[in-house]
Amino acid sequence: MNITTIVHITGFALILIGFWGMLTQKNMIKIILGLAIVETGVQLVMVAFGFIDGRTAPILDSAVELSKASSLIVDPVPQALVLTAIVIGVAVNALMLTFVIRLYQQKKSLSINDYKDLKW
Amino acid sequence: MVNPIYIIAILLGLGFLLPSINKAGIKVTVTIFFLGIIAVTAISYQWLSAFLIDGQQAVQIFTAGFKPPMSINLQMGLNEAVLITLINFGALLGAIYSFKYFAENGIQALVVFLLFILGMNGLVLTRDIFNIFVFLEITSIATYILIGMDLRLKSLSAGFKYMIAGGIASVFLLLGIILIYSKTGTLNLDGMIAAVSAAGSSQILFVGVFILIFSVVIELKVFPANGWALDVYEGSDTGISAMISATSATALLFVLYKVLPLASIDLTKMIVIIGVLTFVVSNLFAIMQKSTNRLLGYSSIGQIGLLVFVIASKDILGDNFEKIFFGLLISHFLAKAGLFWLSGIVKAEKIQDWVKIKKHPILIFMFGTFILALMGFPPFPSLAAKWSLVMILAENGSFLWISLVILASILEVLYLFRWFGYILKLEDSEEKVEKPQHQLHPVYIVTLLLYVAGFYITRSFDAGLSINFIPLAFVGILFLIDFLPVYIKNTLVMIAVSYYGYILVPGLDTLKLIFALIFLVGGILTFIPGYSVKGKRIGFYPVAAMMYVGLIGLIEAETFFQFFFAWEIMTAGSYFLILRGKRSMSHALSYILFSAGGAYLILFGFALSGAETGSILLTSLSEVHIYATMVFILLALGFMTKTASIGLHIWLPGAHAEAESDVSPMVSAVLLKAGVFGLIILFIAMRNNDVSNLFYILGWVGAITALLGNLIASFQEDAKKLLAYSSIAQLGYILFALAIMTNVGWLAAIWYSITHFLYKALLFLAVGAIVLKLKTHKMYEMGGLIKKMPMSFISVLIGIIALSGVPPLAGFGGKWLLYNAFILKGWYFQGAIIAFSGVVAFLYLFKLIYSIFLGPIKDKHRKMTEVSVWYLIPQYLIIATLMVLSSKPRMILEKVGLYFKEILPENTVVWNGDAASTFVNGKLFGVWDPFYIMIIVCVMFAVLLGFLLFASRKATKVEMFNIVYSAERPESPQTAHFSYNMFSHYRKALGFLVLPLVTNFWNFITDLFHSSSDFFRKFYNGNAQVYIMHIIGFVVFFYFILNGGIF
Amino acid sequence: MELTLTSRILYSLLGLFIVFNYGLLQSGVMRKIVARVAGRYGIPVYQSYFDIIKNLAKRSQITHGIMFYLGPIFRLGGGIGLFLFMPMIFGSIYFKNFSFTGDIVLLMYFQFFGMLGMALGAGEAGHPNSTIGISRGLAQFTTVEISFTLAIIAIAIQYQTLSVYNIVAAQQGGILHWTLFQNPVATLAGMLSFLGIMRHAPFNVVMAPQEIPIGPPTEYHSTYLGMLQSNRAILHIVESALFMNLFFGGATNWIEFIVKTFFIYFTTVFVGVVFPRYRVDQSVAWFVKVPLVIGVLGVIYATYIN
Repeated sequence: MNITTIVHITGFALILIGFWGMLTQKNMIKIILGLAIVETGVQLVMVAFGFIDGRTAPILDSAVELSKASSLIVDPVPQALVLTAIVIGVAVNALMLTFVIRLYQQKKSLSINDYKDLKW
Repeated sequence: MVNPIYIIAILLGLGFLLPSINKAGIKVTVTIFFLGIIAVTAISYQWLSAFLIDGQQAVQIFTAGFKPPMSINLQMGLNEAVLITLINFGALLGAIYSFKYFAENGIQALVVFLLFILGMNGLVLTRDIFNIFVFLEITSIATYILIGMDLRLKSLSAGFKYMIAGGIASVFLLLGIILIYSKTGTLNLDGMIAAVSAAGSSQILFVGVFILIFSVVIELKVFPANGWALDVYEGSDTGISAMISATSATALLFVLYKVLPLASIDLTKMIVIIGVLTFVVSNLFAIMQKSTNRLLGYSSIGQIGLLVFVIASKDILGDNFEKIFFGLLISHFLAKAGLFWLSGIVKAEKIQDWVKIKKHPILIFMFGTFILALMGFPPFPSLAAKWSLVMILAENGSFLWISLVILASILEVLYLFRWFGYILKLEDSEEKVEKPQHQLHPVYIVTLLLYVAGFYITRSFDAGLSINFIPLAFVGILFLIDFLPVYIKNTLVMIAVSYYGYILVPGLDTLKLIFALIFLVGGILTFIPGYSVKGKRIGFYPVAAMMYVGLIGLIEAETFFQFFFAWEIMTAGSYFLILRGKRSMSHALSYILFSAGGAYLILFGFALSGAETGSILLTSLSEVHIYATMVFILLALGFMTKTASIGLHIWLPGAHAEAESDVSPMVSAVLLKAGVFGLIILFIAMRNNDVSNLFYILGWVGAITALLGNLIASFQEDAKKLLAYSSIAQLGYILFALAIMTNVGWLAAIWYSITHFLYKALLFLAVGAIVLKLKTHKMYEMGGLIKKMPMSFISVLIGIIALSGVPPLAGFGGKWLLYNAFILKGWYFQGAIIAFSGVVAFLYLFKLIYSIFLGPIKDKHRKMTEVSVWYLIPQYLIIATLMVLSSKPRMILEKVGLYFKEILPENTVVWNGDAASTFVNGKLFGVWDPFYIMIIVCVMFAVLLGFLLFASRKATKVEMFNIVYSAERPESPQTAHFSYNMFSHYRKALGFLVLPLVTNFWNFITDLFHSSSDFFRKFYNGNAQVYIMHIIGFVVFFYFILNGGIF
Repeated sequence: MELTLTSRILYSLLGLFIVFNYGLLQSGVMRKIVARVAGRYGIPVYQSYFDIIKNLAKRSQITHGIMFYLGPIFRLGGGIGLFLFMPMIFGSIYFKNFSFTGDIVLLMYFQFFGMLGMALGAGEAGHPNSTIGISRGLAQFTTVEISFTLAIIAIAIQYQTLSVYNIVAAQQGGILHWTLFQNPVATLAGMLSFLGIMRHAPFNVVMAPQEIPIGPPTEYHSTYLGMLQSNRAILHIVESALFMNLFFGGATNWIEFIVKTFFIYFTTVFVGVVFPRYRVDQSVAWFVKVPLVIGVLGVIYATYIN
């Protein structure tokens, strides 16, 4: 089993765990954590897709010759994507947490079941 | 041309700069904020006009000096230009509307709003898949903040649900992107599409595309993964909801449009299904909805579902795709934004509370505009778009989709018009509506734009070029001058109708001439009573004119689309007219439901015909063969909803009875003939298309309609309802006569159409005027009015003699023609039913005239005087016409007979002097000499009258109650007025025929829809976790279906 | 040979005079017969003349209003009109009246002319019992018309014409050519409706002397009543003549006319003497059962047997 496979499996496992958390936990903070875990899982999967066994990080420095770069480094695009995704994920999670705080201030409850006024 | 990259630069730059600028003062900040949005709107508009006017070609804009895939590219084509213009202009209006909301939440709100616009522009312009992700997140985050900004519990919890759903969607999107990337090695959309189609089957690619597209679809709030979205619409500030529904949905739809080429055929089909399903289910759930914003949410989701369907059907729609898409989108965009904004102004949580805008005609006008635009009534863009959509679907044999779209559209009609009815008809509320000007202006603008867009988009369709907008413009002018007093508007309308008739009439053939005269003369006659109304009568003239514009449009129509367009105008106008009655809320609703249903059937029928023959002309119906039965049934049913044949009649009594006194004759005497006209067109065109069995069935339907209509009329206590049921029966005669399909049968039908127009207008005018004066519809509360209203009495007397068919008046002609027609045709038993129902008519006619005019007068009516002269004038004009027609029917009938001779050569009527006769095998069959009969009856009558005048010259006039009743003089008129339940014995014997089976059936259907709506909408139980489940379940379910190869 | 308009009018008036007198006498005879059946002595046969003269000579007279006034005119007009539109004597150019202006449909609908006017006139008098009587009369009449219509349809199928004159012409040439033998089913249906049209028992609750002491005829008095009585005399004969023309081969001279109409009218009297009276809801229901079925059979007979 090579490293890509392991990361893939870990990533997908994390996604499933995250979804499980989102579906079973009543606490809104835990739900957000569930989402964060899913995001992490996805990010792992993304990195794994870009990884090519035996190559180095896509940073053009002394270790990588410019002319042979494309055969030495892993695919840089997924890595760039992951970076962006992480940033956005963090922002969204932070925003979600502020929502939870505001909700808690109003209703003194963290349980998702207490916020069902809008329905049908 | 300004590089579109500047749009992004301006928005982003301003976003960062605003906080610093704010040091210069809030006014400067706000000015710059608006200048920024105006600037981007201007840039987009500049592109748009370049594409539209200068024929500019689509351009690619590369960033960072590289070509893709090394860099990110933007694309600016016509579609993009339209969309960003829409989005930016909508955002500008939204910013104006929400300005107060922003101001309360500080400068941050402005910054976030700029980012929101930025995200949407980016979504539209970019051709890079990862860029889509980024812009999507920017839009989403900005939306979250805009929603949660006001810190209300509602908006926060809605926002939270949105974020969870959005989070999951973006996770899916990322996963999809990376999976596709891993196989195609590019993030550029065009590259990806090329690579995917080249790659062949690959499970990873398959999953990637699936999950990518589903993440977009989830963002588009499709059923069932959309519980969160409804909460968002309901919980957010209306300004924000408007933006979500209009602008961001637009951007997201375009994302779907861009990524859908990646999808396999099966996946596309699935999106088609999801779109339709969303349209149907949302509208179903909406019918039980009482909360304003949630209702708008359902409606919004439904419309987006339809648009998803359209996008996914792009390949089928071909060249027309853009027009259809933009037609629907622009209607939705403008109308839904307008409705949300209006909702924010009205501040009514429940739709019933909207009654507080009752006294604000401008608000009502705008509301009406929006809902009509949503439902696809003329002249709005959605009409032509829906029309084209159905036409093309029919060509492709997608009948299931057409049926579902029609079903959902009817549901939409139900809840939107019910809402409209609440506004106009519920008890007035004390609450005031504040009308903040800055919030109203955007609503004015979108209202205006809807009309402008309607004009241009309708004309952009080939079919729409032939539409004559001038009469509609006249209706528009009437709306504008509605502040003028009645007599000016009344005169103006009458002049307009006359003038139009003057232009129109010379070019018409006999058939069209007759119906044109019914519509035009009917229009003028029924407008005359308008002079008796004092004040302004706000809202009456535009809608009445609208109805007549529609009716005349039917006459002029050559193509399917012209006909349908006119039909819808007429329907809308008459609905608004009927709704004006005091207690007509529910009746107007059932009217519009049946009418809309009928209209959709007509649409379907036309579409099928067009699909087979490829022609758009009404006459092409004769070339339909494969679908002949279907087309005929659909069209006949559609027209029969208007003629209120049995089974489809339940809307009529209430609608006609509860309408205003001068509206009843319009809708009864005139409007019903539109259905007859439709049937005639249909029958002429399809007479040789192997549908004779259907004519036979229609004959029976007509006969039964006539019988039941008359029977039920006999059991009415409400004078106008009685006349309404009588109309049902009379239209039954006409249907029967038409279905006979012989020359004399059609003469009967035409004769009935003309005479029914005359005597029903006469009766409705007379009775209507009395009802207006007495303020009661109940006949048993009237009585003895002959002495107070002799002129009305004569009208009604003439009316009932004419209607009953007693010689020598015109009604007898109808009977005579019918007898000849059905015996010669061999339809003996149907004919016997028709004959029997003709006799039953005497029951209600006697009841009508006796209960109102004869018997003892009620105490409170002792001081009553004759009705308004403005009601009498048209009555006596009609009486004069009736008399002429009664003695000289040849004037009309001979021409009609000749006109139909080529079409229907069988059983013609031969004229000899004034006498009409029919022949079988050269032998005389029936004979009728109306002029001679008239003379004989008149002379005889005069002689007898002379004798009696002489013999009883000394008769003493006595007062009421000069009678002995059970050996006592009655004292109170109530005891001596035998009116209530007059035919109880008849009901006892034949009441089993008039059990309300049809009403029960339709009640069952509506209950079924309402209860299933109420049951299934519980699906959205408000729990965010359940919503997560819906989303995941949705994706998994469809994944397995797709993977299992079920499609 | 065609008559000039003037002579046609004069001959029609002559015919009317004959029918009027015959009608008065016949009603006297019928009343006498009924009285004898009941074991009474009865009135003299010329009683009807006395009644009319008495009524026309009354000194006092009242009117309730214009429609009340017009009622008897409509009623008598209805009777005379029916006479004028009916061919009386077949083959006679003198007594076919104005039957060329219309056909059987005209006759059917002209029946309502008098009924409607009368109903309205009595309505204005303000007496509730008049209206009750009218409501019953109309209700019963509607269903009476069903079997009548079916019988007429059967005749029209059989003779391929609606013209009464041609219907009679088709029945000439011997008794077996009468509709009575050509289509006995339709004739039966027609005669059943004749009972209803004539409103003798069992279908006379409309007049109903017991339940409603003063119906339309009593509300009217003096000249008005005289006109109504004249009408009744004419109408009975004309209606009988209609059935004679339709089912019994018409008449080629006045003797045949009198004999046939007498027996046709007598059937109703005969049935009336034998049967008790129906309530209106019963008679309405009855007419949509037996006569309806017979009428339908009559049409089927005409369509398939002939």
